[in-house]
Amino acid sequence: MLELKDIYFTVPGEEAENGAAEKTILNGINFTFEKGKFYAITGPNGGGKTTLAKTIMGINQATGGQILYNGKEITDMTITDRAREGIAYGFQQSARFKGVTFRDLLAIAAGTEDEGQLMDILARVGFCSLDFLDKPVDAKLSGGEIKKIELATTIARNPGLAIYDEPDTGIDLWTIAPMVSLIKRQITDKGTTTIVVSHNKAFLEAADCLLLIKKGQIEFTGDLEGAMPLLSDLSVCGYGNVCEGDIDARCYR
Amino acid sequence: MLDAIDKNLLKAVANLDGIPQGAFNIRKNGELFSRQVSDNINIEPNQDGTGIVVTVKPGATNESVHIPVILSQAGLHDVVYNSFIIGEGADVTIVAGCGIHCASHKNEGHEGIHEFRVGKNAIIRYQEKHVATGEGKGKRSLNPTTKVYLDENALVEMELTQIGGVDEAKRVNEAELAAGSSLFVTERILTEKEQIAVSENNIVLKGDNSKTNLVSRSVIKEDSKQDFFANVEARAKSYGHIECDAIIMDNGVNETVPALRALHPDAELTHEASIGKIANDQLIKLMSLGLTYDEAVDRIIRGFLK
Repeated sequence: MLELKDIYFTVPGEEAENGAAEKTILNGINFTFEKGKFYAITGPNGGGKTTLAKTIMGINQATGGQILYNGKEITDMTITDRAREGIAYGFQQSARFKGVTFRDLLAIAAGTEDEGQLMDILARVGFCSLDFLDKPVDAKLSGGEIKKIELATTIARNPGLAIYDEPDTGIDLWTIAPMVSLIKRQITDKGTTTIVVSHNKAFLEAADCLLLIKKGQIEFTGDLEGAMPLLSDLSVCGYGNVCEGDIDARCYR
Repeated sequence: MLDAIDKNLLKAVANLDGIPQGAFNIRKNGELFSRQVSDNINIEPNQDGTGIVVTVKPGATNESVHIPVILSQAGLHDVVYNSFIIGEGADVTIVAGCGIHCASHKNEGHEGIHEFRVGKNAIIRYQEKHVATGEGKGKRSLNPTTKVYLDENALVEMELTQIGGVDEAKRVNEAELAAGSSLFVTERILTEKEQIAVSENNIVLKGDNSKTNLVSRSVIKEDSKQDFFANVEARAKSYGHIECDAIIMDNGVNETVPALRALHPDAELTHEASIGKIANDQLIKLMSLGLTYDEAVDRIIRGFLK
């Protein structure tokens, strides 16, 4: 359902290190994601995981290669058009607004202001408190709250493809398992193809397929068991200073 | 008679679909158009005939006063001085505002000075909206001044709004707060084209435990310019906060100058100010939810000025 054909992403010299003319962040990625499957993308920091996720959403425009979504070329499409084709994205760093409430975002995401329908979505993502709906999505929200909003707005899109970039950042330990089952439920109920960028063992275990990305290339695809030797070899996240994310993000070691 | 243009202006500035309930005073093209008083609220011309005096009886609650001004006559420059005397313990909503419709090349303008004497324990909510419409090239200017004197434990909430259309606006807000009184001001201004808006605020915290919060939200589009000056002076154990945010688009220019002056050792004064473009992560988030770039900008601005 999503085909990546020889995807490159390079940035010009001034953004590259050591005065190089350009820096290659994605270096020829080829992969086909199948409908209704759960994929986890992992790998060392700076390896290109988030860049790949953003390139699929159109936040980064691929500098080479082709992206096909349900057989349709989307390589040059805007973020808006990709969203309308059915791709949704949960951000690692969520945007904070002034004067925009959770209800506003949810209504935009769901394409309806109908209270009943918004309630259904809330129930799906496990929000119990209705008061939460009229909270401003501003700097006052906690890391956990904003992550739940990110999750809810992604699910509210009813996407064909959902991409979550480190959805567990800032979420407490006890919330991870319900989050994994929520994401899995979207796969079984709605057939949502799901890509999660994460170091978290809970996601790596839950995924049907694991992609290990290192230096802009796919180093390994397969299940967790097969990835284990490579992961420990690479010390994917074995050191505190290598690990991305907030203090609450626990790492796969 | 109110014609279609007048009715649109009334709707825009005072959210009125016709003649309001309760006390009101509608001024059209520099003259009294219609007035109604109530048992608790009196409206009469002031002594020198330059405006009106609105008197609210002590203890009057759940009442409202509408005092819109509409201008649709080419070349008119209207000046008024209105006073509001709010009795002790009263609780009222005052809806003011000025709508200008300019259909010609001649300039039109309104200068309104509103002075409030707010009695002990009284509460007022004051809404003032400025709107200018019409295709004429004449310059539309609005220069409102509010002077607010709060007696002990009075509470005043002011919402001041000007969303586009006005070529030149110079606003002056002045306030003096007695012990235990509170003043909350929210100002929202959007300028576009080559419009200029200046807002100057001088708030003096005179009594113990008086407090104020001054919030300004500015959107400066195209080649427009906005300046915001906020001065809070504390002469007692009191609390003051200034929060000013400006979003700049196109070639907009903004100057924001918050100033805090503590003349008492127990004064607590804070401010936060920011000027900048719409944050990219906000735009990307909304586009990832299916909005176009322009829709995303519009949604962010509407929320910001809400």
